[in-house]
Amino acid sequence: MPHVLMPAHAAETVKLQFMYPVGVSGDINTIISGMIDEFNATHDGIVVEAIYAGSYDNTEQKVITSLGVGEPPSLWLPINSSLQTFLGLDALEDITEQAKSDDIYDDFIGGFLGTAISNDRLYGLSFQPSTPVLYYNKDAFAQAGIPEAPETWDQLFETAKALTVRDGDELKRWGLIIGGGWHDWMFEGYCRQNGLVPWEQDKVLWDRPESVEALAFWKTMVDAGCMAPASTWQGSANDFMAGSTAMLYHSTGSLTNLRTSSPFEVGVAFMPKRKTWGASQGGGPIMIAKNQSDAQKEAAYTFARWMTNTENQAAWSRATGYLAVRKSSWEMPEMQEYLVEVPQAKVAMEQSAYSGAFLQVPAYSKAREVLKSAIDRTLAGEVEVEAALASATDEVNREIARVMRRQQRG
Amino acid sequence: MVLDTSVTPDIAAAPAAARRSGWRRALKGQWLHLIMLPLAFLWLCPLIWIAVTSLKTSAEVFDPAAGFFPAIPNFSNYPSTLSVAPFGKYLVNSIIVTSSILAGQLVTITLAAYAFARLNFPGKNVLFTLFLLQVMFPIYAIFLTNFVTLREMGLVNTIPAMIVPFVASGYGTFMLRQSFRQVPSELSDAARLDGCNHLEILWHVYLPLVQPTLIAFGIISVVTHWNDYMWPLLVTNSEDIRTLPIGLGLLAKADSGADWPRLMAGTTIVVSPLLVLFVIFQRRFIDSFMHTGVK
Repeated sequence: MPHVLMPAHAAETVKLQFMYPVGVSGDINTIISGMIDEFNATHDGIVVEAIYAGSYDNTEQKVITSLGVGEPPSLWLPINSSLQTFLGLDALEDITEQAKSDDIYDDFIGGFLGTAISNDRLYGLSFQPSTPVLYYNKDAFAQAGIPEAPETWDQLFETAKALTVRDGDELKRWGLIIGGGWHDWMFEGYCRQNGLVPWEQDKVLWDRPESVEALAFWKTMVDAGCMAPASTWQGSANDFMAGSTAMLYHSTGSLTNLRTSSPFEVGVAFMPKRKTWGASQGGGPIMIAKNQSDAQKEAAYTFARWMTNTENQAAWSRATGYLAVRKSSWEMPEMQEYLVEVPQAKVAMEQSAYSGAFLQVPAYSKAREVLKSAIDRTLAGEVEVEAALASATDEVNREIARVMRRQQRG
Repeated sequence: MVLDTSVTPDIAAAPAAARRSGWRRALKGQWLHLIMLPLAFLWLCPLIWIAVTSLKTSAEVFDPAAGFFPAIPNFSNYPSTLSVAPFGKYLVNSIIVTSSILAGQLVTITLAAYAFARLNFPGKNVLFTLFLLQVMFPIYAIFLTNFVTLREMGLVNTIPAMIVPFVASGYGTFMLRQSFRQVPSELSDAARLDGCNHLEILWHVYLPLVQPTLIAFGIISVVTHWNDYMWPLLVTNSEDIRTLPIGLGLLAKADSGADWPRLMAGTTIVVSPLLVLFVIFQRRFIDSFMHTGVK
């Protein structure tokens, strides 16, 4: 495997700041700072300062604040949805040419590379991608005599009904919970499974028939009493581990936690399909700031390249449960052994072939909030499916137009 | 975060007498305890839960079959929490930041409140309205401007960056002004006749009389800044100068859900100093509430 390292301009030491969130658990902080220490020890002339910046949202706030005063960090690790936000701020260095003369386009798994591409230009190196997957309680499946995880929406509905347990009026176990707080992320997966990427660069398409059908399907499951109408991100994982739901849509990033903390055997499957398999990616790429010296940019690329090289991606993936972004990483003997040991990881990897970027529109935070609220209100029975999605689409598209006008002016 | 200790039932003060003539008498003397004990229990509940959870394994936390107490107390959560971040360093920084803010605030709010309560100067009402406006602005709205100011002062990524924006407090000034105004002006007039200047009047007459307000404000200020997360996260980059809530954030803000046993172990570490402080000074807090006032 080629190991192309570009020497930084000799003599002077280039200092870089790297801001990152901690996605999966506190130990990741130790892993990332360990990686950075190793980078610093092996690269003369470059010193990277590791700056933990909270959650994805916190990290974005911290980066945007620094951009606001004209002193951005050299690199940061946001969620991939923020691509258009940062492009709108003219904050990102275009690394297409460097990546093309390197092995990035050949060796990165297409879906992962794609999360940092806008208009055929590359603005980051995917570092910690994740997708939602279907987790299921194998013990509960065995008790109910269901041999396999559902593969289609219809089977999902049947399975959820069969696994719901009620004692009179009292609910003992849900058939299915879709992890709340990120249910808009899962919803986008449903749209993709129904043959539609529900957004374009400057608008959302939640009012299309494919999207409406997806939400109507959720509503049917909720009305049938086999899917929880609402949940929280952490609460849904807790419910699964406590056996209060037989199936759960959650991030691949939760695999290690769910697998080791559940008192039963955990199965992982593709999210069931309708017309096709489909998922949206969470997690993010390492982005490089435009507003810095050329020496810094070059050093920053060297660092981003090193964080995503074959060995480091393989080690990172095994340690965290995130998916390695390079084909060559998955071919390494260590990764092959890991897949034998944790076959569930393979499912997530295979599903990523059907995945794409998540809601990369300007004002994506606002868009997410509006969509989540529309879904919640629909499932609670306050509004009809079509009306909810139509008004959410209108509201968000107006907001996107407003943000884009402001960016053009400013 | 989990601290809401502004009201504590005084469970220690059980007078040993009043038990001579039967239960009726006892009930009469101690009926308050019937209300206080359940309240005390309610208040203690989360703390007990935190401590118990911090000794569990993560599988036990969600296993409905497991009991309330861990099968085997698992003390290893503590060292493994401490390994996530340098909590010792964070603790020292938290103490420095919180106490500096409080010290600064006590000086500035006392002087400002005295001026607003007892002096007459042009523009007083306008200025006071501006102070009140500051209370109404959510802190998030002024993050960026504060950040710019600090950067111009060269303070970003230093401990003072977490202190400077908070050394004045509109809320504290308002609270104290109201208390000062309740002090009869005869007292300060008498002091002035005795030859006191403004500072002496403030020190000898006003401050002793408003101790309860000062203490109440102190508690609010300490709890707020001890638990502050977003601002320290924004203005600091280096591990050496960060504070405890950022360490807790490492365990709480995760994609996969919080790491409960270690989060609770971390929480125990974070709240202990405040709790110890409170228990030590509890009598004094309550005494000061009871014994001051104008007679």
